[in-house]
Amino acid sequence: MNTTGTIELHGDAPVDHAPRETGRDRVNATLGMILFIGSWTMAFGTLLLSFLVLRDKIAVWPPAGIALPSAPIAGFATLVLAASSVFVERASRSLALAPAVGADRRASFSSLWITGMLLGLGFALLQAWLWYDLILAGRTQTSGLYESLFFGLTWVHAAHVLVGLSLLGWALVGSKRGRYGPARRSFISNAALFWHFVGIVWLFLFLGFFVF
Amino acid sequence: MSMLKTLLPSFALLRSRWLGCPLALMLTSTWALAQDKRWGPGEPASDYGDRFYDLFWLITILVSVAFALVVVLLVIPVLRDRARPGHRASFDHGKSLHDKRLTAIISIVTFIVLDAWVLVIAMKDLREAYWAIPDAKDPQTYRVEVLAQQWAWNFRATGVDGEFGTADDILTINELVVPLNRPVSFNMTSKDVIHALFLPEMRLKRDVNPGAINEAWFKPIKEGDFTILCAELCGFAHYQMYGKLVVLEQGQFNEWEAEASRLASTAFDADDTEAHWAWDWQE
Amino acid sequence: MSSDHIHPEPTTFLRKHVFSTDHKVIAKQFLWFGLIWLGIGGIMAMMLRWQLANPGVPVPLLGGLLFPRTGGVIDPASYNTLFTMHGTIMIFLGLTPAMIGALGNWCIPLMIGARDMIFPTLNMLSFWAMFAGGAVGFYSLFVPLGATEAGWTGYPTLSTTVGGVGQGETLWAIAVFLIGASSIMGGINYITTVIRLRAPGMSWMRLPLTVWGLFLTSILNVLFVPVIGSAMILLVLDRVFGTSFYVPASIMSGGTGGDPILYQHLFWIFGHPEVYILILPAWGVVCDLLSFFARKPAFGYRTSVGSMVVITVLSAVVYGHHMFTTGLSAMLGESFMLLTMIISVPAEVLFFNWLHTLWKGSLRLTTPMLFAMSVIFVFGLGGLTGIYLATIGTDIFLHDTYFVVGHFHLTMAASALFGTFGAVYFWFPKMFGRMMSEKLGKWHFWLSFVPLVIVFCIMFISGYAGMPRRYYDHTSVEYLRPLQHLNVATSVAAFLLGAAQLIFVFNFIKSRWWGKPAPQNPWDVGTLDWTIETPVPHYNFKTIPVVQCGPHEFSNPVLGPDTDWIYQTEKLPD
Repeated sequence: MNTTGTIELHGDAPVDHAPRETGRDRVNATLGMILFIGSWTMAFGTLLLSFLVLRDKIAVWPPAGIALPSAPIAGFATLVLAASSVFVERASRSLALAPAVGADRRASFSSLWITGMLLGLGFALLQAWLWYDLILAGRTQTSGLYESLFFGLTWVHAAHVLVGLSLLGWALVGSKRGRYGPARRSFISNAALFWHFVGIVWLFLFLGFFVF
Repeated sequence: MSMLKTLLPSFALLRSRWLGCPLALMLTSTWALAQDKRWGPGEPASDYGDRFYDLFWLITILVSVAFALVVVLLVIPVLRDRARPGHRASFDHGKSLHDKRLTAIISIVTFIVLDAWVLVIAMKDLREAYWAIPDAKDPQTYRVEVLAQQWAWNFRATGVDGEFGTADDILTINELVVPLNRPVSFNMTSKDVIHALFLPEMRLKRDVNPGAINEAWFKPIKEGDFTILCAELCGFAHYQMYGKLVVLEQGQFNEWEAEASRLASTAFDADDTEAHWAWDWQE
Repeated sequence: MSSDHIHPEPTTFLRKHVFSTDHKVIAKQFLWFGLIWLGIGGIMAMMLRWQLANPGVPVPLLGGLLFPRTGGVIDPASYNTLFTMHGTIMIFLGLTPAMIGALGNWCIPLMIGARDMIFPTLNMLSFWAMFAGGAVGFYSLFVPLGATEAGWTGYPTLSTTVGGVGQGETLWAIAVFLIGASSIMGGINYITTVIRLRAPGMSWMRLPLTVWGLFLTSILNVLFVPVIGSAMILLVLDRVFGTSFYVPASIMSGGTGGDPILYQHLFWIFGHPEVYILILPAWGVVCDLLSFFARKPAFGYRTSVGSMVVITVLSAVVYGHHMFTTGLSAMLGESFMLLTMIISVPAEVLFFNWLHTLWKGSLRLTTPMLFAMSVIFVFGLGGLTGIYLATIGTDIFLHDTYFVVGHFHLTMAASALFGTFGAVYFWFPKMFGRMMSEKLGKWHFWLSFVPLVIVFCIMFISGYAGMPRRYYDHTSVEYLRPLQHLNVATSVAAFLLGAAQLIFVFNFIKSRWWGKPAPQNPWDVGTLDWTIETPVPHYNFKTIPVVQCGPHEFSNPVLGPDTDWIYQTEKLPD
């Protein structure tokens, strides 16, 4: 420390490189992601609040005498999404546990991650099945408040599923090309965090529509 | 008002010649309108109307004192503490316990004087007046169902039989006739968008929402013609959604009601379902 | 990835000036963007005032161009569009970028001693999302069937297809959504940057209050902008896909329907914090500028911070006072009235601290200082008149009258705008390397301040006299006709106010390119942004500074008689 009260961090020459991710960088990235998820919690919280307020307007819940989305399919989809989250999380952790870049580690990451993605894709298909079933029964988003809520909320959620799957795919491609790996894994852990968030939102939707 | 009407043609004249001369237009219209001006809402015509006036001016006095203090404390340093050679600001972070106490005391005192006082009166007003919806079963209460639409006020009174949804219901558009010195109670809803019933002389305002029924009431204490306005943006003719409130002395009102009821029964058309929008009174 | 590393300076024009990730460039982009939109919104306000003062008379100059079908007269539908877009533009496309975007980007890294924002790419996206929102909003003005006419609050069912079909309202909702996305991105960036990139020694209690204001604003942005985002999604679903979230059963042709009041709750859960989103940075700037130019420490730094934190927390639970006439239950109404009154306490503490900062100072009445002091005056007026509206007894009459218009313009619009002006005059030398003309600045100040106070104070009178807002023509109703003289007087003052802004435009442009070169530290202020040379080098700080004292050590006796200030990087003499 000198008299002007500054410390030299990098010296005079500008330093240019794609640096190895430090623990500090990882905290930064995770903090940003947590803030983002906090923000999105408010967004989905708003939708869930609207759901609760509007649900109150429907005399009988779930409405009687009309075709409803299939609860068994939805329940199965919930399990699939939960399993997907578990695989994605295990993949993400497998990187954190391997500080040195190792081919075997990357291989186990890939297989876990791809399994997670496939399960996510499975969820998306099940979700599409739910919609298809309902539309076949003649119920669309314009049919009434229940349908407005069901289609509207699941659409918004499905958009996030698609974004989540894209992020997972991007992370996979990046890890194959060596852009991400045990030494630079913030993107991967953040993608996993986002995926868990998407799963938790679905859990609330499932509980709201099919359980309570 | 009459001045304005006589001046309107000259506006058209100005339009063609003086398009680029806004000042002339402004001055002319100011002069024209200054002939007939008002600075306040006028005398209240409902029994709780004075409450608004009293509370408004109480707050005004309190707020003026507070604001005067702020301005004085803003102006004194400007006059006294300007930067000049040899002058140095006093050094004070305001961190001492004394400063914190002072801050706390001033805030609490301001809160009590400025807010708490007003709050207590407001609560009293709400319970005694604005939210004290009169009992609908009391025959003194004059009930009116209001159906707002783009851009008109539909009013429905029971007529002489005291029942809504019967042939002698008095339906009026943009004009409401009520008896003097009797509480008037509203059940209001809207056909399309949100409107707000605003009776400025009565100091009454309440939103009229589609899909729900809102209540409001007032008790007229002056005879005469008054104003009905819409106070919630409801489309491009929002400003033209106004009507007339007529307060009649009880004897005159009875005559009017009997005649209107009779006419309504005569004109009643059982097939005109559009006109049968009455609902059961809600409390 | 991380911004405490030095990246090479971009070389292409596109990377340097358009898709730049440098916080300083983005700050300038936001500033220009915000100022241009403030200009557009201001011209709209002038047209509104013209119509109100001279109902049915063609608008001079612009009328023939904008309203050719009516011969230059603003028709009622266009009038509704104008005030809707005026509100939307001023809040989302004017003040938000100019205050939060520009100021946040400029001040946060420079004042906390960071080389850039922590997520530079996100920062760039934040600007371009805002830009896209502005583009969509602008485009919506030209679609068939016209732009939105539902007011900036966009209450259903007027904003649903019940109130009007066409793309205008839908595009408006999409624009608000995009701008919201921009605010959230900015907010995440600001919060993380302040938490993670403060220079060594820059403890929370040594942060300039400007940074505190921006930090708290960002928290509100991150938490409450998503609420309106969701509300807008539901609105778009209702409009485009025929759902019935906001359309009640009585209007639907059959089946069950939703609830238009739900939207009001959602809107104001966001809308009330939005007021503080706009005002908190201005408060932070005012706290700092008063101290800088009174040459005195900011009085009660900790209580100021505490008050701002309390206001941030409380801002979420007072929103119901916007809905007193909607039909809230008595219990809810009274609770919101009480909570709203309570939020005035921390605001009082801030006032007390500001006035105490000035007391026995050594005031340098520069342009930024004048604007900062005027915020005390203007926000005082606006804040105190809030009591009328927080009290249900008076709000019943005053709700949706010009009283409300005057109140919120003084609090969230004028205070935020004057705070922005103060900040622009203050940081201009560092931003563009040139001084703004003080003489023109003072003209601008006085010619803005006086008409502004007149404009909104007359609105208090017209509101008290019962003049409803959002009326195309008050002379059409007999009850309102005798109030027209107030409208005329308001408009005269408003035109003066508008004309005065031309001085600012002239001063800004002239100083930007032909102004006097600015010294490194023209204001004798010790915060980190003034420790670096002008123009600021690409990496801000060649070496990351170490902070040794607070930002407001003015006139400290230990500094000796020759100087009354010290850089934050210097150690206070014993």
